[in-house]
Amino acid sequence: MVKFFETNFSYDYQWPAVTLAYFLRYPNPYSTHVVSSDTLSSFVNPETGNLHITRLHLKRGKLPASVARFIPKIKESYILERSVIDARNQRMCTESRNLDWEGVLSVVENQEYVPAADPARTDVKTIVKFESRLGHRKREEEKRGFFQGWGTSGVRASLEVVGRSRMRDGLMKSREGMKLVLEQLRERGFVGVVKEQRQGGWERWKKVWRGDHGMEEAR
Amino acid sequence: MSASLAPECSEAKERYDTCFINWYSEKYLRGQTKPSKECEELFEIYKTCLNKALKEKGIYDMIEEARKTGPEIRATSKR
Repeated sequence: MVKFFETNFSYDYQWPAVTLAYFLRYPNPYSTHVVSSDTLSSFVNPETGNLHITRLHLKRGKLPASVARFIPKIKESYILERSVIDARNQRMCTESRNLDWEGVLSVVENQEYVPAADPARTDVKTIVKFESRLGHRKREEEKRGFFQGWGTSGVRASLEVVGRSRMRDGLMKSREGMKLVLEQLRERGFVGVVKEQRQGGWERWKKVWRGDHGMEEAR
Repeated sequence: MSASLAPECSEAKERYDTCFINWYSEKYLRGQTKPSKECEELFEIYKTCLNKALKEKGIYDMIEEARKTGPEIRATSKR
């Protein structure tokens, strides 16, 4: 597992609102590639009071041509998302990993949400780990056919370069989506968010927001 | 709210999601960590529908395997 990306970011909202937005973040105009989201399990650990949630997202793959020539058949991707919320200490940890590329290209994103020094804000630390284990797995036998004739290390390098730029792009979009949901929560509450999502009025919101979403990247 | 992978489960999912979000924002975030019986019942209905769909799509085992083998997330607070 290779760590290849780490970034810090702050939302201009309190921790409870940010965690709520995390669960309500789909659909939003920046997540049109997310087809569905389902909850697989949800339980509270009676000893710690921590809430554990596992969700499954289906994302439509918009593979760049440079990757598609290696993996022509992948069009969609299942993402397993696990989160632990510690409301007492105001800390949320999340992990998202893609399932069906496993063994070919595995991307694991870990995030930690905590209140910032200014409690009106919330800090998010994102670490992305990346693994391409071509031919390292038995159950990947059939996929190996694609890669014969390509130098494994060369394929891996290509995947890593593409993975990295896509990751930045994806992270930026997911932040914008979160911010939009947070704005809705502040303006109209939970019912307002759901209503907006149901009516598909996001395009209007996107226009309102366009030109007014400067990045606030910490570094 | 987002759609379900299985359209036939969308109604059950929406009922559960609404229950969960209400419980999460009104109870859990306010320190009342006791699970909601109502949400748990709604989740059972949703889960039955979803698991059936996951099996039909042939992805149930893949997901179960990934859930078992993945690393645990720690949420210990050291602040």
